[in-house]
Amino acid sequence: MKLTVQTFRHNLYLIILLICFLISAFTASVFAADIGNCLLCHKYPGMSRVNEDGDLKLFYVNEDIFNNSVHARVKCEGCHSDVKKIPHDPAKKVDCLIECHIMEPSTEKKFSHKDAEFFLENSVHSKNDKDGNLKKFTEDMPSCKDCHDNPLYRPLSFFKTVRYGVSESSLGRCRVCHKKEEFIYRFYNHVTTRLHKSRNPLNIAEVCARCHNNPEIVARHNLATKAVYSYGETFHGKAAKFLDERIPDCLDCHVRKGESVHQMLKHENPLSSTHKDNRDKICTNMDCHPSASPKFATYSVHAEFNSVQSPVQYYFTLFFIVLTGGTLLPLMGIIFLDCIRRLFPHAVIKRRK
Amino acid sequence: MNKTPAIKVKNGTRFFFRFTVNQRIQHFILALSVVTLVLTGMPLKFSDTSWAPYLYALFGGIHAAPVIHKVFGAILLALFVYHIVYLVYVIYKFQVLPMKSKEGLSIGKVLKLLANQPLVPNLKDAKDIGALMKYLLYLSTTRPDGAKYTWKEKFDYWAPFWGMVVIGLTGLIMWNKELATMIVPGEVINFSLIAHSDEALLAALFLFIWHWYNAHFSEAVFPMGTAFITGYLPEELMIEEHYEDYVEIMTQEGLEHEIRPPHGTHTAVSEEGGHA
Repeated sequence: MKLTVQTFRHNLYLIILLICFLISAFTASVFAADIGNCLLCHKYPGMSRVNEDGDLKLFYVNEDIFNNSVHARVKCEGCHSDVKKIPHDPAKKVDCLIECHIMEPSTEKKFSHKDAEFFLENSVHSKNDKDGNLKKFTEDMPSCKDCHDNPLYRPLSFFKTVRYGVSESSLGRCRVCHKKEEFIYRFYNHVTTRLHKSRNPLNIAEVCARCHNNPEIVARHNLATKAVYSYGETFHGKAAKFLDERIPDCLDCHVRKGESVHQMLKHENPLSSTHKDNRDKICTNMDCHPSASPKFATYSVHAEFNSVQSPVQYYFTLFFIVLTGGTLLPLMGIIFLDCIRRLFPHAVIKRRK
Repeated sequence: MNKTPAIKVKNGTRFFFRFTVNQRIQHFILALSVVTLVLTGMPLKFSDTSWAPYLYALFGGIHAAPVIHKVFGAILLALFVYHIVYLVYVIYKFQVLPMKSKEGLSIGKVLKLLANQPLVPNLKDAKDIGALMKYLLYLSTTRPDGAKYTWKEKFDYWAPFWGMVVIGLTGLIMWNKELATMIVPGEVINFSLIAHSDEALLAALFLFIWHWYNAHFSEAVFPMGTAFITGYLPEELMIEEHYEDYVEIMTQEGLEHEIRPPHGTHTAVSEEGGHA
């Protein structure tokens, strides 16, 4: 074949096309959400800015982490809807309740977290009171991002339960019918993450602790206890600290089973799971202590070592503290004196007559 | 059954009989289960500390450690029940029955017998504590002469005895919480947890400080007392800790003329008085 300038140009064109295709195919699999090419800038770890308040804000996006988070499929513009051009103006805070570009498959409508807002507004954490007026200290009431971040997938493996995480064997079964690797991987992660909590009990307690262990907020709102502290004194709380996943956290008791965790109610509300008439049902449910009697639920989960909040338990504990000190201190005094005495076994203070 | 000799001589040293094989096995089970219970229980009590997860992981973490704790708790409770039976049996067979055949029984006599058991605290213990304090504060030159069991040993016996009742009962309540709250209100579990863990801390500190000091780490015994293994106490320590008992046994064995003077201070002071 005679190499002409034309065929050379034609081949070069094909090669360039091929390279472009490979690059795009490669990037498509990695930057699944980055249609707007935001990572062009945001991939740099040092990307940051000091804002008007003098705070350093970091704008770095780690694509590996993002691609393993529950929002991996949502495009950047899906949440940052005010960003229309590059370079962009300072972006507004994300509103979690907007409709994003994901289709909700059962209704085929655009996906939104708006329902969470409905539950939250009818809960004890609502910013408004019953009559729709703003509550006192309304700024203390949580909104989405006070409790939520962008959680990572926590895939479950049931296959011979040898390893946690994604089960290669299960993926093999998916591949029989489904051909797109990215889909298989994401679907597996999505479904198995949703089969359990996306946070372990300790993380849940830490989320609630941001407000419910804050002495100022507890005092401002006349709450009976530093709730996560007192939970941490129970076996449940201690097991949570040792990363037990089976143990109940705040949400297991404070929300009725099967209902939205956003609809947390005051314990005075008869619909609340912690209302005195419902309390026994929390403990005695089939997954927890099914053989327990209703009396079991009179256990004070949130008792503190505090003479005002739990006087009987306070003095009961004080008795043991005094007993311990009263026993050990004199005995340790004797040991101390004995140690010194053995250095001077014959010494004696002679009394003057 | 061969009677155990009250005095054994080995390498020219006299060893005095203290504990039967049965008692030594009881003590071994007690020690092993207490140490295991402390190691599997304290990480939970101090779950906020940095060391707790590591110690707990050594026993299998939150999934296995509570099981180990319950197994050894059950062993300890079984030992406690056995000990009570053993105590009643020994006192009945070797003291009450002979008394019955010799002089007949009455409630008063049995109570007196019980009150005179070597481990029951008595007036001498109070006097000994006073005398020890005087000695430790340099007001006298003699340690009190101990009987078969000194007040320290009685403390070692009765403190865990009371602890076993409190910790065992509350442990059983928390273990069988569903069953227990058929009868008692749920708040009893709160009190059980407080009593169980606080009493356990007291018991652990008591044993690991007081008991270990007296039995192993005191200058007289260091580095380790061996009577809990061999059942026999060397003459030196008998003189130091149990002089009254020492004199009694030596007399019983017909060795009056070989009784040595009480340790150090009595004679030493008269000899070294000029230097002091």
